Amino acid sequence: MNNSFSGSPEGVGEKRHRGLRNIVARIFPWAILLLVFAMVAAPVFSLVVGAFSQSRLPNEFSIDNMGLDNFYAVWVEQRIDLVLWNTAVYVVGATVFGIGTAAVLAWLVERSDMPGKMWIYAGVPLGIAVPGILHAIAWVLLLSPRSGFVNRGWMFLTGADGPLFNVYSMGGLIFAEGLRLVPVAFLMLVPLMRSMDPSLEEAAAVSGASPLRTTRRVTFALLLPGVLAISIFQAITAIENFEVPGILGMPVNLHVFSTRVFNLIENIGAIPAFGQANAAAVFYLAIALVISVFYLRLVRHSERYTIITGKGYTPRSVRLGGWRYPAFGLALLFLFVTIALPFLVLLYVSLVGYLRQPSWEAFQSFSLKHYETVFRQPRVGRVMWNTIALTLMTSTAVTVLSFVVAYIVVRTRFAARYTLDVMAFMPHSIPGIVLGLALFWLLIQFDALTGASTFGSLYSLVIGFTILFLAYAVRAMSVAMIQVHPDLEDAAKLCGAPPWRVALRIFAPLLMPTLVGIWIYVAMLSVRFISLPLILSQGGNNEVLGVMIWSLWNNGNINSVGAIGIMLMTAMFGLVLALRIFGFGRATGGGSV
Amino acid sequence: MIEIENLHVRFNSDKGEVHAVRGVTVNVAQGEFYTLLGPSGCGKTTTLRCLAGLESPSDGRIIIGETVVHDSNKGISVPTFRRDLAMVFQSYAIWPHLTVFENVAFPLREMKPKVHESEIERRVKNALELVQLSGYESRPAPFLSGGQQQRLALARAIVREASVVLFDEPLSNLDAKLRAETRLELRNLVKRLGMTALYVTHDQTEALTMADRVAIMRDGMIVQEATPTEIYKRPISRFVASFIGQCNFADGEIMQAATSGAHGLIATEWGNLAYSANGRSVGEKISVAVRPENVRLADDTTAPDMPRIAGEVSEIIFLGEALECKVTLGGSELITRLHPSSAVAVGDTVDVVVMADDVAILAA
Repeated sequence: MNNSFSGSPEGVGEKRHRGLRNIVARIFPWAILLLVFAMVAAPVFSLVVGAFSQSRLPNEFSIDNMGLDNFYAVWVEQRIDLVLWNTAVYVVGATVFGIGTAAVLAWLVERSDMPGKMWIYAGVPLGIAVPGILHAIAWVLLLSPRSGFVNRGWMFLTGADGPLFNVYSMGGLIFAEGLRLVPVAFLMLVPLMRSMDPSLEEAAAVSGASPLRTTRRVTFALLLPGVLAISIFQAITAIENFEVPGILGMPVNLHVFSTRVFNLIENIGAIPAFGQANAAAVFYLAIALVISVFYLRLVRHSERYTIITGKGYTPRSVRLGGWRYPAFGLALLFLFVTIALPFLVLLYVSLVGYLRQPSWEAFQSFSLKHYETVFRQPRVGRVMWNTIALTLMTSTAVTVLSFVVAYIVVRTRFAARYTLDVMAFMPHSIPGIVLGLALFWLLIQFDALTGASTFGSLYSLVIGFTILFLAYAVRAMSVAMIQVHPDLEDAAKLCGAPPWRVALRIFAPLLMPTLVGIWIYVAMLSVRFISLPLILSQGGNNEVLGVMIWSLWNNGNINSVGAIGIMLMTAMFGLVLALRIFGFGRATGGGSV
Repeated sequence: MIEIENLHVRFNSDKGEVHAVRGVTVNVAQGEFYTLLGPSGCGKTTTLRCLAGLESPSDGRIIIGETVVHDSNKGISVPTFRRDLAMVFQSYAIWPHLTVFENVAFPLREMKPKVHESEIERRVKNALELVQLSGYESRPAPFLSGGQQQRLALARAIVREASVVLFDEPLSNLDAKLRAETRLELRNLVKRLGMTALYVTHDQTEALTMADRVAIMRDGMIVQEATPTEIYKRPISRFVASFIGQCNFADGEIMQAATSGAHGLIATEWGNLAYSANGRSVGEKISVAVRPENVRLADDTTAPDMPRIAGEVSEIIFLGEALECKVTLGGSELITRLHPSSAVAVGDTVDVVVMADDVAILAA
């Protein structure tokens, strides 16, 4: 305004125009803050209020009928303490198993001379493409005590009268969920191991420490804080997961928090206890929150552990000697078990005439009739369309909103930008089941008040997913924006480019890989996530693929699950491929070293 | 104290085999400060890392003290942690998870037999005092400035009292002023403690000011090894002369051979120069190197027995501590360095004189 060098007098209209723009620019960040706050606070508020409601159903809610009965019922009658114990064992077990496996793989790829590193490096993240529900279903088909292919084969070959391994158990839960955590943990561990300055280890050797002592006193000690942070991050993922415990634990009444909350409202043959579900969800949310806060604190105080870096590392790898090929074999086995095996099992199920042990006769009965059956159902077309619409809307909404939030946090001097940052991270600690339940209450009340029909619509899912995935997207977006040096924009401004040209010609091209990456990743999450749609799903209007797979599986329609699962996984592999080609540049998706 | 015999290192890289070190032989005496100087990629750091056992030589023999730590022919290779040495890294390699005290105590805690805790405390305190870091003991290492980290790395290297200390460009991450101060401090400390030092750098000032002996490396080989003065005054090639400081070069031919009593005469593109080194015969084609500060603008009393060359001042650059003049001599140019108070101006006609002792004849 006062920096016009031209000296030409400004028109009055111009001034008024600028004044208006100034006001909008000042109000806009507050509006965004309010929006994000509402997205978090409104559902949580209705969840907590609902926990005190003693009415039988959410739509009978009345302020006069409130009390602590639900908490009493959940704690004393439903023995939520047992669920708490189960959850603890499941989360700790799965995290330790998952991080351990990922750490071994990451170490082999980054710090050893294992052959075929590139294949493992490219292969492990592909596991993201296998949705949790299909992953769990595949393990049931392989390891269920009576009909699992592996267990049947074992009993046939050895004559044993018991199964080799019962997947409907805590061990099964830990195993299946642990494997599911590996791809993301691997992607987080690889840069951690890569960023370590080898001269820190060399300095220990020069100081007289033997290789074993060096590993213990320097390498492990330096990696520990990072590994701890990643472990807690993964523990949050495990605690929020519904698919694996839902398929493997719920049928045998082995409950963790997510399945218990679900079970309270969707228990066949029992009256849904919404208030109690809310009370349990409040406990659940509190635990997730505590862990998230702990995680944030840990990450925030990480500067002490940042590894001082020199320039130009000499990549030095540990010689495995005779273990090179066994190590490679082990890594390949992992890829086979987590990616190829679920695919092959579902492929078999989708092709075989009726479900039975693999045999010559079974292979001869292969046909495409289950695919035909699936496509002949009108329900399938509708579900496909719903899923695609949901995915497109969610991805776009999350990408746009996270761009705006990250821009305000990173690039402006907005007074409350730190609050906005924390607020946008909050949804990370809300489990999908809890948010589903909260929105259930909120939308019913909202519709009752306004006469709208959000409840049961596809938009209810879009809102829920946008809230759920916002935290991740804002994090990724901020990181990318911080890396774009402000000088790059200032240089463009000095060349005479107006703000929108700067955004178009400098910011957008530099951030494009991140925008695309976030879009695709959110699309994948929207397809994979079934906990929230399960609660909010009200028939055809907003039934999506995950929900349909869930209900087909529970109705014993296993061949159809196989056929749909194969098509879904094929689409997901396509998305992962697109993510690695177009998304995030070389930062997370590129080739190794 | 250090003997490196005919060291060869070959790497396998993406671009095929790289012969990084080609037959380096070095002898460092007890208490000597020895510097390997060269441009990046000349093999100096690789040589140092072989000495530390961080890189494995393809061929050659290395002796530290009385111990053969590497011998390719006999298959001897002592692992790094059993070698009696200390090292300061370019990146300092300060362990970020340990305090200042624990960083320095690390080498002592790895000693066998175990060093008593009170003894560790005494020696760490002593080392920190020597590098002026007393009072920082309990501070987490990353909370130190660059200069402090550098001194911490030094304290860690001296606390072990190893017979050999290796320096891998330890000053290259400091700013210019701090670097100048640290150079002298570091040399004095090394000398005071009587350590044998092998120092790798690409900075000629560091090499000249700190070393007892300098070896210039190029393409994996040592091209010249001498004291700093010798290497500055009598470089044996254009590469050495131009790597250490500024220099004027010209091709020439011996017109009159020098004898023990009288100067010889060389015809160059600048004009005739006197020289004093023996062993050249008339008609020999050679190259000469003359440092700018040895090119004098003559008045009537300057060295009457030296040949004079007439020229014209064509450019003057004010450097603060000196004036750099470009003198055009017919078709060629000479750069000369003058005291800043010299009264010269562009266009002045001048006579240029170079003393016979200041003309270095290069192996052509």
